[in-house]
Amino acid sequence: MSHRLIHADSTELEIDVTLPLDRFDLRVAFTSNAPSLGLFGPSGAGKTSLLEVIAGLRRARGRVRCGSEVWLGEHREEDRARSIDRSPSRRSVGYVPQDGLLFPHWTVRRNLLAGAPRARAAGVDPSARFDEVVTLLELEPLLERPPSALSGGERQRVALGRALCSRPRLLLLDEPLAALDLPLRRRLLPFLRRVRDELTVPMVLVTHDPVEAQVLCDELVVLRDGRVVAHGPPRRLLTDPRIVGAEASAGRSAPGLETVLPARLRRRGEVAHACLLAEGVEERGAAADEVGVELRVRAADSVDDETLVWIRLHADELLLAVEPPRGLSARNVLPARVLEIVPAPNGSVARVELAPELPSVAVELAAGTADALGLHAGSAVHLVAKASSVRIVGPG
Amino acid sequence: MTGALLDILLLTLRVAAVSTALVLGPAVALGYLLARHDFRGKRLVSALVGLPLVLPPTAVGFLLLRLLAVDGPLGRERLGVDLGLLLSWKGAVLAAAAMSIPLVARTARVAFEAVDPRLETMAQTLGYGRVGTFVRVTLPLAGRGLAAAAILGFTRAVGEFGATVTVAGNIPGRTQTLAAAIFSAQQVGDEARADVLMLVALAIGLAAIWIAEALAPRATGGTGGRVPRSRS
Repeated sequence: MSHRLIHADSTELEIDVTLPLDRFDLRVAFTSNAPSLGLFGPSGAGKTSLLEVIAGLRRARGRVRCGSEVWLGEHREEDRARSIDRSPSRRSVGYVPQDGLLFPHWTVRRNLLAGAPRARAAGVDPSARFDEVVTLLELEPLLERPPSALSGGERQRVALGRALCSRPRLLLLDEPLAALDLPLRRRLLPFLRRVRDELTVPMVLVTHDPVEAQVLCDELVVLRDGRVVAHGPPRRLLTDPRIVGAEASAGRSAPGLETVLPARLRRRGEVAHACLLAEGVEERGAAADEVGVELRVRAADSVDDETLVWIRLHADELLLAVEPPRGLSARNVLPARVLEIVPAPNGSVARVELAPELPSVAVELAAGTADALGLHAGSAVHLVAKASSVRIVGPG
Repeated sequence: MTGALLDILLLTLRVAAVSTALVLGPAVALGYLLARHDFRGKRLVSALVGLPLVLPPTAVGFLLLRLLAVDGPLGRERLGVDLGLLLSWKGAVLAAAAMSIPLVARTARVAFEAVDPRLETMAQTLGYGRVGTFVRVTLPLAGRGLAAAAILGFTRAVGEFGATVTVAGNIPGRTQTLAAAIFSAQQVGDEARADVLMLVALAIGLAAIWIAEALAPRATGGTGGRVPRSRS
């Protein structure tokens, strides 16, 4: 185990744990500096167990370190090693379970203030954070209600707010949106996104939704049967058939390859376009973040002009053309460059680049197609997509 | 007659109140232990706690009498002091307490089991220690059930007869409680007196049931009574 010097307010998360589970042993080791780390994988892969180990709710062997604090394992102080296993109450995590678990005997306000004593003990004024969280998550109208009078989405927002008000060093989200139906999930995504961008609390998010993972996470750890099978940028991993495709061949419900990109909607009369935005700056609104790539979208979507959204492109709905196609009903034909051809279970997947500032887009190709067209890394191509294949997520 | 009646009522209420006060702490602790912890001998403890429910009350009373007799394990000769329990109102308290503790502990256990343990886990992640979690979360959520347990224990003590007369006797003005007074009045054929005492017992019983019903646990809005999730 390396013991390098750690900056005092570092948020680096170091995990190296073993935990026997029913079907397999969870054996996970990684180190991450990502502000938002996703734990991705099929159900039963050990994601929630790992989150509970980090929170101290499950006893595991090994090491858990958050920044300069060792929560589990050996801690060295001037040549003396101490064995540490902090109780959950002393790990300063903000835990948000799937079903919120609000305290039913308290109002929303008291629920939000449940962690205030700890914040105060840590020398932080909880009231400032309270106001900030209430504004950010739009909780003002709910404050005096009992949890029983809240909808599912409201409950999750309060649970998130309660965790944030306790001033955690680390936010742990266990599929916080999974219990909600799809439209509601899409409406809550922006709230989580705001938490990530404005409160700067590092978070670990358990998810099996590729859209959530691409929208919310800076880094992804993919788990399968208790092991880490991949660790890297979400868009790269989730558009890689070697990672997502393996789920399908293992007989599990595969989410399918999908690329999620930030965009700004722009309406010109009946026609609506999604103007793709460079990564990381899409929140700040300035037109400078647009990279000059526009996709025609179906105008029926009831989203206002200038709204920031994400667009989803399914790999199996996209086409590649080696020559500019003509007389095609598809409205989007964009010049692109092939970065890589990756073998997939039933053919291959091409990763193409629309602009250097954008993450690559995955396109599924049937067996033999890549060879027939002579596609290879560096090939100039045209990406073809129907307007209806450009799905909108958001607004956010 | 009315003076004597008032004395009987006051003695009965005093015995029941003191018994309930004595029983509540240990019974709640026992209920919590049985609801939340697994330990060796849990079934044995559970069985022993339930024993007075299934034994004839006179048998329980006789057991107490044996323990407290002058030459018994808790008697004057062994302890060197006379606890002064036999044939006194304190003896009636002891008998009532012994008979009501199973009921209170069992009801308390059910009340604690109805609290979602994941809420306690949640409190821990928010910085509460074991005691803080118990006081802030577990106790308030089990509160109605615990109050109902206390009322059940109180009424059990009011109605206790067999163990009480065995340990404390049936001495008018000193150890004669409502239940014993009804029995005595009926034995000597004073039916008017038995009627009055019976109506008093009825009133106490009705009041207790009414309060207990009002305290019955209500639905707690979606999180009550869930079993802990054990998925990976």
